[in-house]
Parts: sequence; C-alpha cells; structure tokens
Amino acid sequence: MKSPRRVLSAWVLSAAVACAPLALALLAPAAVQAALPPDPAGTIQTLPRPPSAHWVWVNDFAFSHMVNGKAMLVDGDSGRFLGELDTGFGSMRVVLAPDGQVIYSPETYFSRGTRGERTDVVTLYDPSHLSPLGEIVIPPKRSSNMPMMSNAQLTDDGRFLLIYNFTPAQSITVVDTRSRKFVGEVETSGCALSFPTGARSFFSLCADGALLHTVLDDTGHASRSDRTEPLFDVDHDPLTEKGVRVGDTWYFVSFSGVLYPFKLEQGSPKLQQTWPLLSAAEKAQNWRPGGLQQLAVHAGLNRLYAIMHQGPLETHKDPGHEVWVYDLARKARIQKIAMKNNSGSIQVTRDSHPLLFSVFIDSTVLDVYDATTGNLIRSVTDIGTTPTVLVTP
Amino acid sequence: MKWLDSLTEGSARSLAKRTSRRGFIGTLGTILVGASGLPLLPVARGGDAADDKAKHVNDPTSCDYWRHCAIDGYLCGCCGGSENSCPPGTQMSAITWVGTCHNPIDGKDYVVSYNDCCGKATCGRCLCNRNERDTPLYVPFQSNDYNWCSGSAKTNIPYHCSTARIVAVAK
Repeated sequence: MKSPRRVLSAWVLSAAVACAPLALALLAPAAVQAALPPDPAGTIQTLPRPPSAHWVWVNDFAFSHMVNGKAMLVDGDSGRFLGELDTGFGSMRVVLAPDGQVIYSPETYFSRGTRGERTDVVTLYDPSHLSPLGEIVIPPKRSSNMPMMSNAQLTDDGRFLLIYNFTPAQSITVVDTRSRKFVGEVETSGCALSFPTGARSFFSLCADGALLHTVLDDTGHASRSDRTEPLFDVDHDPLTEKGVRVGDTWYFVSFSGVLYPFKLEQGSPKLQQTWPLLSAAEKAQNWRPGGLQQLAVHAGLNRLYAIMHQGPLETHKDPGHEVWVYDLARKARIQKIAMKNNSGSIQVTRDSHPLLFSVFIDSTVLDVYDATTGNLIRSVTDIGTTPTVLVTP
Repeated sequence: MKWLDSLTEGSARSLAKRTSRRGFIGTLGTILVGASGLPLLPVARGGDAADDKAKHVNDPTSCDYWRHCAIDGYLCGCCGGSENSCPPGTQMSAITWVGTCHNPIDGKDYVVSYNDCCGKATCGRCLCNRNERDTPLYVPFQSNDYNWCSGSAKTNIPYHCSTARIVAVAK
C-alpha cells in the first residue's frame, strides 16, 4: 500500500507534467511581447455621420428630478450606449433635422436650479460631438406635460420648428431653422400640439373634436387657418393625441381602439374611413390600446404597431405586454408580438430590416425586437430613470 | 358628457373662455379653480387586493384615497402638505384641472381640484396615477398630463406635488 504522501507526490508530478504546456503557453507571451503602451490622454469619442438607421434616442424627462432631463442614444444592433444630451427641465424630446446635420432640443432652465428666472431655448446640438452649437431663445411658454412626439415637430422640409405652448393659453412657437431665429407664435385657441401636413402646414387637435389646420407663409407666419367640423367624439370615444404618420395620412386611435386616418386632401385634413383594431370578442374581453407612445408605423411595409393590454376604460395610458401589428392597406391584423417586459412606448426604425424598440416609463430597460419576426434581440439595461418617447433617425 | 355637466358654473365659464379667441394669451387669473397632477406614471396603481383598497379609501396618503380618482403625480400628503394644502415653501398653482370622484363614505360625488404645489424639485414620494375620466391634452382642464405649475407669472415654476381639494358636491 502506498503512503498518502507518495500518492500526493505522484499526483502533483503528473499534474505538473499535464499542465506544463499550458503554463509555458501562458508564460511565453509575457517573455516576448512588449508592454502595453500608455493610453493617450484626453481622447473623446465622436459619432459617425450619417447615423445608423438602427440608432434610437431614448428621451427621459427624469420625473423624480425634472430639472435635468436628458436624451440617450443607443445602438440597437450592439446594445451599446453611445452618448447623451442634457436637455433641461421638463424635457420633451429631441428633434432630428432631416439632413442629419443638427439636433434640435426645446429646453427650459431656471436661473437658480429650481428657482429664479425661467428661460426657454431651442438648443442646437452637433450630432457627431453631442455638444451645443448654439441656442435660440423662445418665449417661456413651452408646455410642460407628459412628453408627446407632437410637443415639437418640424415642417416637412425641415425649415420651421413647431413647439407647443400652454400657459394655459394655447399656441405654437415657430422657429426658423435656416436663420436660427424665433419667428413668432401661431394662435391655436382650444387646440393642442402640432401634426405637420406639408412644408408649410400642420394641424392641431381641438377640444370639440375638430382639427385646426394652419398654413404658414415662407417667413413662418400663419397665412391661413381653417377649422374643420368636429371629426371625432370627444365625449364618448376620444382620440389619443399620440398620432403617427405614413405619407400624407395621420393615424390616431380612440380609447376604445378605433383607428382614425386623416389624409390631406385639397389642402386640408379629411377623415378617411375609420376601422377597428379590435374584434367584438376582443373588446368584450376588455382589450384596448394603451401607453405613452402607443403607436408606431413602418412606412415601407405600410404597417401599424399598437401596444395592447386588457383593462377598463380608465386604463388608456397603461402599458401592455403585447404589440399588435396591422397591414394598413388591408386594414387587418397580421401579427401579435409578445413583449418581454411592460411596454409603454414603442418605435420602429425606418429601414428595410426594421427594429422595434420598447420602453416603459417605470422601468429603465430598453428592449430591442426584430420588427418583422417579433423576436427579442436584446435588452439594454440602466437607460435613464423615466424613459418617455423614442425617436429614430 | 354627463360628468362634465356636473362641473361648477365657474368651471363651465372658464371652459368657454378658454376656447374663445378672446381668451388667447388672456388673463389667467379668472380661470378656474382646479388643478391637476402632473404627469403620469400608470404605475403606482393596482396590485392591491380589494380589502387593501377598501382599507385605504379614506387615507389621504394612499393612491386608493377616494379623492385621488384622477390624480397624477406625487401626493402632497406624503411631502409635508396634505390633501388640500401645499408643503412649506411651495406655492399652489392658481389653475388646475378637475375630476369628479365618488366618496364611498357618504355616497356623494364631488368635484375635486388637483392643484399642484410648485417651486421646489419633485417630491418623489407616494407617486400616484389614476385616470378616471382623464382626457387627452387637447381637453386641458380634464387632462392630468399637464404640469399646472407652468403658465402664470406666479407659478411659472417647477412641479413639486399634487393636492386633491374638494370644490363642490357634483350635481
């Protein structure tokens, strides 16, 4: 019988022999490789232009500390956090110039943090360096509300920036992006937000269910303003203000899930045939759309994406665990996507292999899906504090 | 709608003024009573069992408090104020939005004004969002998605928390 010590010695010897090649392999490079060079000081990343179609800006109005909202840029392909903009109090959302040369951000600041004089500006940011290029002072009237895409919109040619004011008098601030100057205000009494319909026109949604269509002249001042008859029933089935656009048609969904298309015809928005996103059986089961940015579209595929959940009428802002996909031409649902996490805001990229992004304001996770298969690609964690609306290039 | 009909005469007058051209950029001091909570997170609600909700229906620091049927924001009762008063050093918004809530204790419906308290950073305590009869932004005085601290010269300042003042019995 071998002694325990001899057994141990034999094991150590055999182990040493077995591991020798590995040990040599580990030691050898250290013997021949040069030491790592010192890193240069002061290196700062820049971003390529044009931006990837799979990037997304996650806007965060930082509800628990509203003076320092921000917008965070994430690459959907890698999940990499690329950088951020600090966007001030009550941050709504960034607006991307069509030519990709500048990012506009309507912002509010107080001279002493939460006290002092209020100043509203549109800050211009360099998309490569994410640093300010300049600012345009605007009247301190910018609406402070739950962020909506239509708090700030560009006219179709990118010339005029339209910013919704609420004091509670309602108006639209017009900024000329060419001269980078405040132009003036357009009165929209009784009507809110802006939904562009062309290079010089937009409409607002009114409290009586009408649309106020405003036409601008080439200086950015209102040249015409027409109010339609009431086109939807505010009392019994109001439309959410979270519209999405494909071409010359804006789509809005009502609390009960009826889709309202408004198409620009002969210079003014006309209601097209409405159609339900829900079957009678689904309505009976209390399915309904919900969320902060509850609709998204892909123009090339002509598809509408809608966040759905089950709940009573007053849950019209609630998140959902499903996104239902519709073929807008056939007016038919073609897909249901099961969401991994609560979904309150969705956005779809514009390219031919689109991604579907999803966040919820009470979570800090950005989920990335294949927008055609519905498969979850990745989840990106620790994105801000209260992410609101999503903006894609 | 029915519940709108039950609003006070003063509210109705204000609504008319708001929607008129004359009201544009007009005097705000005459507008309304009420109030609203700021934004919104559809999060802090639900989850409680029915028994728990019943237990908290008369607790001003609970989201299930009967007056909170349409509130959206941080409850001032958790922030140094109460359901009808603001915390020290803040200011109550002069304009607001109103809801109509049912009080199960006395069986009556009340018009509730959700005045925001303003002038300090967000309180961050007792977040509550309930949306009974809430409307989109284009119907402002029934929408809890606005920050009513912005606007008039006196309260053009940051949002802190939201109260739930009784204005009147709904008729």
